[in-house]
Order: sequence, then structure tokens, then C-alpha cells
Amino acid sequence: MAGRRIVITSGKGGVGKTTTTANLGAALAKRGYKVVLVDTDIGLRNLDLVLGVEKRIVFDLVEVVEGRCQVRQALIRDKRFTSLHLLPAAQTRDKTAVSEAQMDALIGELAEEADFVLIDCPAGIEHGFRNAVAGAREGIVVTTPEVSAIRDADRVVGKLKERGLPHTLIVNRIRPEMVASGEMMTVDDVRDVLRTEILGIIPDDEEVIDTTNRGEPLVLDPNQRLAPIYLKIARRLEGEKIPLTRLESQTFLTKLFSIWKAG
Amino acid sequence: MLRGTKSGLEFVFAADAGDAVLSDLTARLSERPDFYRGSRATAIFQGAPLESDAFAGFLDTVRAHGIDLHGVYGAAELGPFAERHALAYLGEPPRPVVTSLGQRRPRKVVAALTERARSLEADFAGAREDIARRRARGETSVAKPDFAKAAAIRAGAASAGPTVAPPVLTVTPGTPATLYHRGTLRGGQILQQIGNIVVVGDVNPGAELVASGDILVFGALRGTAHAGAQGDTAARVAALELAPTQLRIATCIAADDVKHKAREPEVAFIRDERIAIAPYAKAGLR
Amino acid sequence: MEAIETEITAPVPEAPVGDQPVAPLGRAIVITSGKGGVGKTTTTANVGAALAALGKRVVLVDADVGLRNLDIVLGLEARVKYHVLDVIENKAELDDALVRDKNVDSLYLLAAAQTREKEDVSTEAMIGLIEQLRARFEFVLIDCPAGIETGFRNAIAGAGHAIVVCTPEVSAVRDADRVVGLLPHDWKPELVVNRLRPALVRKGKMLSVEDVDAILRLPLLGVIPDEPGIIIATNKGRPIALDEHSPVGAAYRQIASRLAGNDVPPPTVKVAEPGFFSKFGSLFGGR
Repeated sequence: MAGRRIVITSGKGGVGKTTTTANLGAALAKRGYKVVLVDTDIGLRNLDLVLGVEKRIVFDLVEVVEGRCQVRQALIRDKRFTSLHLLPAAQTRDKTAVSEAQMDALIGELAEEADFVLIDCPAGIEHGFRNAVAGAREGIVVTTPEVSAIRDADRVVGKLKERGLPHTLIVNRIRPEMVASGEMMTVDDVRDVLRTEILGIIPDDEEVIDTTNRGEPLVLDPNQRLAPIYLKIARRLEGEKIPLTRLESQTFLTKLFSIWKAG
Repeated sequence: MLRGTKSGLEFVFAADAGDAVLSDLTARLSERPDFYRGSRATAIFQGAPLESDAFAGFLDTVRAHGIDLHGVYGAAELGPFAERHALAYLGEPPRPVVTSLGQRRPRKVVAALTERARSLEADFAGAREDIARRRARGETSVAKPDFAKAAAIRAGAASAGPTVAPPVLTVTPGTPATLYHRGTLRGGQILQQIGNIVVVGDVNPGAELVASGDILVFGALRGTAHAGAQGDTAARVAALELAPTQLRIATCIAADDVKHKAREPEVAFIRDERIAIAPYAKAGLR
Repeated sequence: MEAIETEITAPVPEAPVGDQPVAPLGRAIVITSGKGGVGKTTTTANVGAALAALGKRVVLVDADVGLRNLDIVLGLEARVKYHVLDVIENKAELDDALVRDKNVDSLYLLAAAQTREKEDVSTEAMIGLIEQLRARFEFVLIDCPAGIETGFRNAIAGAGHAIVVCTPEVSAVRDADRVVGLLPHDWKPELVVNRLRPALVRKGKMLSVEDVDAILRLPLLGVIPDEPGIIIATNKGRPIALDEHSPVGAAYRQIASRLAGNDVPPPTVKVAEPGFFSKFGSLFGGR
């Protein structure tokens, strides 16, 4: 049976699409699945950096679509997980280099051999977004609990609905202490606006920037706070029913404890 | 025959040369229309001179290519022939001294390898097998730059209005010249050249240099460089700071997994079918 | 401590007609980055507010068609009647579309259209619009969308200067570098490093300003430290540049002062000292 084709999108830039794609992909690979990550941000590629494979790029997505190489040659296998591969974007081209039909065909081809194809979508709702969504059959919308991010996520949810794509939500960079003091929106506030099932809640963590700078997805390091959270999200994606932990309505001490269990 | 010497070009006509030689030479000149522009030239007749009209036509062609054919060497009888064509009679043909055009002196590698060179490892699963197979078949593993398409893109961009400049592409098909670029290349920009590339400035990560010949960066090379892109394994890459994301020479690819702070100018070349790096002071571009 | 002067300025003057002396055209600056989420909109709003607080006539243009956010950051979303496309398509007059800021009198906003697409705007139309605005305002700040597609190309059309916003992360630096390569050569863009956390830089967990500069090599316009207060300010719709007690606000005010042509000491960030924020005021001199 062909693998699942999921686009990870947001509308607003900088909310954590690429980091989520990398870590969720690594988490799924860690659980034994064959995963292919696809970077569709042609001209502004970053997924290779976040995975730490930028030096090993020989061919890219555009060259595959143009027939200058085979998919097999362009896929970069992760050094840490043999079942995780990346199809990098091109850097010296722009998003008009591929069409939606070509993307759909390409993702279909990848899905023949993989359990999960995760498509990292560029910011915005222009050509790049349309290309990324063209190959998907499901979506994960990533947002932060901020007014502007939610507004953009709302626009994107609308577009996914137009195309009949089932979708779930990840709320990223929650700061429980700010939520408690009323300075940040609650997850319920977010859910009220977007009316979408939540796949996961990820707290803010200053280690994330360092792991992306170093090119080492944090899922690899069991000492990382967020590692178990991504693994939990991966399990939910597989279909396991794991309840969300409420972060907001707790005292300080139990809050600390629950961050470890959050997801 | 057409020869290059220190003092200019020589059109050498053998003793039994017929008029056909002229059309050959004309064709050869048209292959590289501007390559010889501004050169001085002489004609050397090792035997009898050619038929006047044909030679006059040839002279016109030569001048049209911007070549200053000013004199004639040959036996003493050629004096009047020279005069008829308003050329100077220069005397007996000189002995040829230099190698003919188009041949390179073979390079000698006499450098001690740095520590880093020894640690270079290419780890490209899939790509590596494919490269080996292609090499066995005599192909290059990296697609040749599509110069026709690049020229079309460039032509199209030139006619666009006040919009964003496309990635920088420079194309000079057919002429092995050296592209000289002053300024820093930013991520996403690409220079392609049949010939060599010299950049005075940095090459940032995400930028690409593709040359059929050598690549020199008078600055920090942090992007991707591909020298010998059409298969020349003698091509070299040199930089004041050699810290590329990825390095390619002909069909070899390498990347340094260890973060290395280059303390001196270095040059990369192929040795024992792998890419090696040595300090520029020792190895140079020879 | 430096007092921030605010003047109540006269309403926006009409474009000059007849044989009156023509005022110089305002500066059109696009605020761009390549990567999304690094603080373009926040920077546009705050630098604009700070410039207006200095008495300049400023208009902010939201070029993010379909994903507009500048109005939210300024707290003006309820007051937007018409947007850029309405003006371009002659469905509304520019005067009706310009929304006056509720905090600073000489600051105006031209909002983006939410229910349209970036492809609906043409480059020529943007150039024409920006020219009109330059005739009326001393500063036209254009908030650029993320990416390098149509939205980006339209946002830079008509501008003459650029401010590149970048956070101290490798992906942001890569994207900023790409964008710099796409801007016209003669623009001489300037850099704002946003969300710097000196403590993390010291621990080696974040890039330093020098690391960013090593790749981008742009003149440094300002460095903005990271502070939770900025999220609150965004959610409340009052630019932090107007907050006298915030180091972040001070940093934005310094940038505005520099843009206004005042002689301001160049931005430096001392990383080695503990208690960075307590020393912030003296470093930046603007508290």
C-alpha cells in the first residue's frame, strides 16, 4: 500500500514548519518507518541545513522533475537513521521551475516506496504553497499562539478545506507561564478560532535554535525536553489515541513536571 | 596550419598547399570568431605562394576577424607577391619554436598533503555508485550546464521591466575564456563558464560556480564549486579561504564533515582518483 | 535619560500644486528578509512609530496580500475601510484608505487586501502607488512578505532602499543572503539583527552579530534584543517603540534616529558581560 503524503504548512513564516518536518520525520524513522522528507522551498531551501546534510547534496528536486537524474540519485540518506531520506530543493532556481502536476507525480512516486512522505511547505500562499499542497493528501498546519500566526493559519486551513484535504493542527512555542498569566493565548483560544483537531502542543525551548544551527534534529537526543513530545506526536500520527496534556491550568511545580509529558 | 607564438599568429602554408587550405583556415577562424581579435599575424609560405584572388579573399576574412596580418615569410621570390597584397616581405621562414595552440602542458603535482586532505571523505550513497558506473562508461556524472537555456533565460531577463534580477548566469558557448567577477556571490546565484572562473570577493553558501576549467576565488569560497565540469581531471580549485559546502572536480565530489578553519590559501585537485587539498604556497596552480 | 518628544503634527498636507515649491520626495524603504517570522512586520511598525514620534510624516504599506498583519500589530484592524488593491483598482481614494495611527498622529497605514492574491497586484501599479505616497510622506516603509516570489517582487518595486532583517540563525542568514543577491546593486541595503540573546551567544548556542556579518557583510543599522514584552505588545496593538522603559523599544528608537539622519553611535553588542539587560541603557544611550 502506498505511503501517506502529508504537507506541513502554516501560512506565516517562522512558526516552525521546517523544524517540525525534520523532527517529526526523524521521530517516525526512529519508530521504524520509511520516511522521505521533501523540501519544496525552491530558492530558499533550509531543510537540508536543519538535518545537517547540506554538504551532501548532489541533485535536487528540480533536476528530478526535469529528468536530469533519477529520484534515487537525488535522495540523501540520513547518516543517523537509514530509513530517513531527504529530497532537497534547488537553491539557484525559483518556484516557477516546477508545476503542480509535476509535484503531484513526484510525491506519488516517492509514496510508492515510503511509509510517510512529509512535504515541507514554504511560507505564504503563493506558487510555492500550491506546489507543496499539490502532492499532498493530508495536511498538518503549524501555528504559534499569536494573533498574526493564527490569522495566517486560518487562511491556510481555508485553502486546505477548498481542496478537500483532511488536516490537523500543531500549536508550537507555547509558553505555559505566559499563558497562565494571561499574556499569551491558550490552546483552547487557538482551537476556537481554527476549529481544527490538535495533533500536538509543543512548548517553547531555547535549545531548538541551537539544534537547527548544528543540523542535529533534537529527537536524536533523549536529554532534549522536546524529544518525547515529537515522539508522542509521531505516535498520534500513526493513529494512536494519546490525550493532550493540559498545560495551562496547573500550579508551577506540576507545570514543570507536565512539560515533560506534554504533547 | 595556424600556430600561436609569442609574437603573434602564424598562418603556415605547406609546400603543396592548395586553395582548400584557405577554406579550412576560414572555417577554423569562424569557430572562434572573436578569439583572435587584436592579434598580429604573419603568413609563412614553405613553398610557392597561393593563387592571388583566393589569397586576397582570405586576407579580407582575416581582417574581418580583427587580425592584423602584416607580413609574409617565404623564399625570396615572394617579394612581389607580398607587395601585390600590400604586405611586408619578412624574409626566410623562421624555425617554429613553440607548441601549437590547444595543447596544455601536463601538470605536475609535487605537494605534500595537509592533514585535512587525508580526512576528506565523500559519503554519497547512491550518487557514488552512479558516478563510478558513469565514469566506466566515459560519461560525466554531473549534467553539463545547459548553456542554451541559460542564454535564453538571460535574454528573457534583459527584456523584463524593473523586476528582480534572476540568478546571475554568464554564458560564452564555444569560447574558452576566463570569466572574471568582482564582488561577492550571494546564495542562490550561479556562475557557469566554459573556461575558467575568477571571483574577487566571497562566494557565500548557496552560491554555485561551475567551470570547465579552473576556479579561483580571491576571497572565501563557502558555496559549491565545480571545476573541470566537462571532465577535465586536471582542473583545480583555489581560494584564499577554502571552506566550500561542497567541492567537485570532474566527476569527483567531496565535502569536509569536520569544521575546519582554513588558515592559509589552499588549492584542491584530484590525486589518486580523490580530491586532495594542499596549501597554495606549496602546490600552486601548476 | 533622554526624553522622547512627540509633537501633534498638522494633518497630512495635500500634494503640492501649481507653482508652489515642490517638496523633496520621501524615502521609500522596503523591509525584507527572505525567511518568514524574523520580525519584518514588527520592525516596520516599530521603526515607523519611532520615526513618527520624532515628528516625521510616515506611511506604512503592508505588501503581504492575503496574509496581512501590519494592521494587527498596530491595533488598527477595526479601522481599515479600504486597502491597497482598492486604491490601485480605483475603487477608493488614497485618502480614504490611509488609516491614521491611534498612538502617533503623523503615522499612517495602508493595509493589504486579505481576500485577494499577490498575483492580483502588478509591479507597475505598485511603483505608481509608492510614487504617490512619496509625494506626501517623508518615509514610506513597505512591509515585505516572506519569500522571493511575486509578493517580494511587488514589494520592492517602487522602493529605493532596503532594510534586511535577520535573526541569529543559520537558515535566516542563508535566506537573507539570497534576498540581498536579488536586490538592485545600488540600493546598499542595511542590516537589522533581531532577537539577539547575548546569554545564548555566550554559551555558544546562538550565532553572534559577527557570525551574521561574516556572511551578509552589510552596514549594521541596529541590533534588537529578544524580550517577551514584544509578544505582549503585538497582541495589544501598541508598538513597543513607544514604550519608554523597554530596551527593545530603545533599540528601535535608535534605528529611527539613525534613519532620520541623526548622528547616533554605531550599534555594538557587548557579549562578554553578565547582566546584559541592566547595562543596556548605557550601551545604547537612548533610555
